[in-house]
Amino acid sequence: MIWVTWRQHRTQALTAVAALVLIAVYVLVLGLWARSTFNSDAIGNCLARSGGAGCGGTISSFLHDVQGGAGVPLNLVLLVVPGLLGATVGAPLLGQELERGTWQLAWSQTVPRTRWLVAKLGLIVAGLVVYGAAVTAVVSWSLSPLDRISVRTQPPQFMGEGLVLTCSLLCAFGLALLAGLLLRNTIGAMVAGYFAWELCLGVALLLTGPLQPFSVTKTIPCAGVACTAASTNSVPPVTGNFGDLVNSVTRAGGHLVVNYVPASAFWPLQSVSGGIFLAIGLAAAVTAVWLLNRRTT
Amino acid sequence: MTHDVSRVPALRADRLGKRYGHTWGLRDCTFEVPPGAIVGLVGPNGAGKTTLLALTVGLLAPTEGQVELFGERSRAQDATTLARVSYLAQDHPLYRGFTVADMFRFGRSLNPSWDSGLAEARMAALDIPLGRKVKSLSGGQQAQVALTIALAKRAPLLLLDEPVASLDPLARLDFMRDVVAASAESGLTVLVASHVIAELERLCDWLLVLNGGRLQLAGAVDDLLAGHAVLTVPRDAANGALPGRVIERTDSDRHSTVLVSAPPAAVVAALFRGQTTPPNPPGTKGVRAHAPGWAAEPAGFEQLVLAYLRRPQVAPVPAGARGTAVA
Repeated sequence: MIWVTWRQHRTQALTAVAALVLIAVYVLVLGLWARSTFNSDAIGNCLARSGGAGCGGTISSFLHDVQGGAGVPLNLVLLVVPGLLGATVGAPLLGQELERGTWQLAWSQTVPRTRWLVAKLGLIVAGLVVYGAAVTAVVSWSLSPLDRISVRTQPPQFMGEGLVLTCSLLCAFGLALLAGLLLRNTIGAMVAGYFAWELCLGVALLLTGPLQPFSVTKTIPCAGVACTAASTNSVPPVTGNFGDLVNSVTRAGGHLVVNYVPASAFWPLQSVSGGIFLAIGLAAAVTAVWLLNRRTT
Repeated sequence: MTHDVSRVPALRADRLGKRYGHTWGLRDCTFEVPPGAIVGLVGPNGAGKTTLLALTVGLLAPTEGQVELFGERSRAQDATTLARVSYLAQDHPLYRGFTVADMFRFGRSLNPSWDSGLAEARMAALDIPLGRKVKSLSGGQQAQVALTIALAKRAPLLLLDEPVASLDPLARLDFMRDVVAASAESGLTVLVASHVIAELERLCDWLLVLNGGRLQLAGAVDDLLAGHAVLTVPRDAANGALPGRVIERTDSDRHSTVLVSAPPAAVVAALFRGQTTPPNPPGTKGVRAHAPGWAAEPAGFEQLVLAYLRRPQVAPVPAGARGTAVA
């Protein structure tokens, strides 16, 4: 089964590796540029000296350059490529066999079809996990200069670091696999799988924004200018921690009431988003195995 | 070829039925096929031929009844069942992007009993290079590659679904010749679903006729032919006066031609009513009766099959006679 799986999916595997190389080259350039800018702007020194106080402008423009300018393609990559790749691998697995009639060949050999499918799924999922980890690693390296000063609970970092990327890849794969079984057509399954994945991605993005489950409210004492100048856009943030995402700041007497997503919410939020992706992908794959198993009626 | 009836049948169906939603694709199908037989499976489109094949290989599970392969029940998704039967589906599906060698490696990976020697020898004999991609082969070559995969699996039962439908006449001959040779070499039992009745007549020694999801006829070709006769009778002879069961009757101006299902003895008795001994043994040659205007000829293969196919309302073979000699 290992050879059969490899032979049937090697074109996809090589395409995916080519895509990885392209992403890696771009991300490498981006990362090197981000590092040199980080150093030439002396942001590291500023952070060490004053925790970012006094160089807010520099930090803002650095973040703006990296995330807004050169980093825009990265955002697109992270919001499109996992779905595209997962759907491309998942759709033909059953869709093409059913579309071209080769299922009659594949499932009449001595390996029963459920075992055939489970073996293939095991190998491909392992491949996708390794692939997702590799993309996550290069993206994380590239964005690591930002880690100390930017909000990691937001895209692009949230989508490119940690668990979410790999889980969303698996989600798209599972959805397209199931779509292939139901639609009996490769292209249709790819499109259906991709758009179903976009819906899941929408949920994940809502969790980083309006539906954020980990935001907290804190009352901070303040005085004078610090009180009047405080806003959601302050650099460093009013909470004093660069990783915090400040949603709202209201003044109440000598206090600021701050609603924010703490930097420490990164991993809990990763787990929730990744878990949703993974659960949907797993449910789709299990449904596909189950349907295939009883498709004798 | 003679068949030892006491041996375990290669294929046995027992009240086999398959329902798709509200309609039955196949119903109440009971027959036996001895090992080594080459069985023609005939029927119009939608008669249930592919359903019968898919039930046999376990790609479908029966709604009722069962199939047995060499004495053991065929089960969907069971490696033992799958090892006993090779299935060449209609349009001989292959992975188009694979080379022939890839297709064989696919077969080897999925079949413990794979015979690499057989596969490669057949390709060498057919002059098909192993390095060629499937999609660059002709239709006949693709069919041969698919047949080779089915044969190299080394299963004792081979199912072929319309194997020559897309082939030119020469490729058809080559293909069928190879099937017969393989059967003769290794005692393979073969079940061929086909519309080409002339092809089956040359090939088969056993016959199954399906019509509207029902089995109309099952048995050894020789027995079936011996159990039918074509009578020429005066047009005013009533069906009731004829021996056996009337399958098909064609009336012309003065005479009627009638295909009947009747044992030879009954046909002879009808022709020689009132005579004590018939002058010559019946069956092989036409018999001219003493009754004026009556004559009998043995039924031809194609004539027999077509007569049944044209009359789906003709009830299936009576239960006692199913799968065994009608005579």
